[in-house]
Amino acid sequence: MISEIISKYLSNEASEQEVAQLFEWIDASEENKKHFITLKKTWALSGISDAISADPITVVSLQAKNKVGKYFKYAAVFLMLFGLGKLAFDFASKTNSSKEIILELANGNSELIAKNSPTQIINDKGELIAKKFPNQIIYFGKVQDEEVLYNTLKVPYGKRFKLTLSDGTIVSLNSGTTFRYPEQFGINGKRNVYLTGEAFFEVAKDKEHPFVVNANQVDIEVLGTKFNVSAYPENPTVNSTLVEGSIQMSEVENKQNVVLLQPNQMATWQTNAKKITTKEVDPVFYAAWTKGELAFKDTPFSTIAKMIQRTYDVEIVNENSNLAKQNFTGTIKISEASVENILELLKRDTPFNYSIKQKTITISNLPN
Amino acid sequence: MSITTSSELQIFESFKEGNETAFTYFYDKYFRRIQAFSIQFIYDKEEAENLAQEAFLHLWQNRETVESINGIQSFLYTYAKSRCLNFIRHNKVKDRFKNDVLNHKERELDIEILNSVQFDTLELTELERIINDSINDLPPKTREVFIKKRFENKKNAEIAEEMQVTLKAVEAHMTKALKILKTKLSDYLFLIFILICNN
Repeated sequence: MISEIISKYLSNEASEQEVAQLFEWIDASEENKKHFITLKKTWALSGISDAISADPITVVSLQAKNKVGKYFKYAAVFLMLFGLGKLAFDFASKTNSSKEIILELANGNSELIAKNSPTQIINDKGELIAKKFPNQIIYFGKVQDEEVLYNTLKVPYGKRFKLTLSDGTIVSLNSGTTFRYPEQFGINGKRNVYLTGEAFFEVAKDKEHPFVVNANQVDIEVLGTKFNVSAYPENPTVNSTLVEGSIQMSEVENKQNVVLLQPNQMATWQTNAKKITTKEVDPVFYAAWTKGELAFKDTPFSTIAKMIQRTYDVEIVNENSNLAKQNFTGTIKISEASVENILELLKRDTPFNYSIKQKTITISNLPN
Repeated sequence: MSITTSSELQIFESFKEGNETAFTYFYDKYFRRIQAFSIQFIYDKEEAENLAQEAFLHLWQNRETVESINGIQSFLYTYAKSRCLNFIRHNKVKDRFKNDVLNHKERELDIEILNSVQFDTLELTELERIINDSINDLPPKTREVFIKKRFENKKNAEIAEEMQVTLKAVEAHMTKALKILKTKLSDYLFLIFILICNN
């Protein structure tokens, strides 16, 4: 039992609980400690490298019901998933009809972010406000509070986009996301932005001006940190997970209803019950998309199907009840795996048939 | 691996004289191992890579002090060891666990392990020989798993897929390999341990 854990520990594949168990065992006797030291020394000297040194994620590696340990680089990651709201439904209906990234300006005009050469956005006074690139927009400058203008960016299914806000905050936007933000932040007050969908924030430090993500019926307030916000309309909850730093989630209508998050905790806002609860989680899996990966950890197929739908802009109809009950763990590099690759992989664990008609994938039982 | 060929001796002479091609030969031979060693204690691939780079830079600058071909390895490992110790003592190792007690405990153990290895030439070459022999003595499947870990740097899951076995089987092979290695090596390492303590 303990040698299995040592083996896992040295391979960097032991869970925190197992590591705790191992260290307890080491503390139990000098003999144990000596054994452990011998093993780790041998391991280190024999040139064995561990998972950290492995090259990033294989194209597709997926196995059912096993955990994949991964080293997480982000200085601070905060994640939230949230759901149902009127805005969200509105958004869902719109994204279905358009497959280009759309920028809606404060004056009501909208434009497509096409694959053209970089352009500059200049304001009335001739000042540079932003530079536009095919996959990114970078904003500059500050304005008087009364002059703050909001833009809205809509990223459809199958696309992703990156923004640098005028305070230097970097926002990565995932597929199927609507994000509303000031073209230039005001000189005073809080830095408010509005999200439906999923985004990863690297907030520029500015203690005088707290950064607030408004999502559904809650606000998430930070001073300067990196965090992920996932706010898809099909989820009836708001979940926020923090890796490092501190973040506060509060109900908009009732500021007394507030939770201060500790690293590696997830806060869940339940829209129906209007309650915020917290639990311990492994946040690695929630922000993998920023690295172009889909990551699952004991994730039900229904959730995986939704992720695939957004990422690849397809529709999945599952008529296979076995698959619906199955959970999977693994990581997929989006750029290198097609939907078929993923389905073939899942099939190996839980056999099923599928057919693809245009953008609709129908999954059925195997014939008897 | 520990066999020194006559051509390697020539390369070593060229290296001493400042031949960069000769330096590259040793770089290619040991870089991964120094990096891999450091990762075990600082848990960061990039930092370990930087550290290994530094070690080689340091080696190049001090090549005149290296007396034998085996001295290259011991020079590099000794440097890596002291840098790893510094890294831990200056709290530059990132927390790996939620529980701070575990982070603290791991660092203490790592310091103890690092301190217990003296990278003198004899120890390294002898250890390398013993490790190689022991690996060769492993049962075939177990050896295959171990080598995939050691030389190909693979995750258990990848090995399982390649060898068409379950993940549990891979874990079992690794456990077995370590048990065998421990038995074969512990006497030897224990001896070193005593020698060091007595010094």
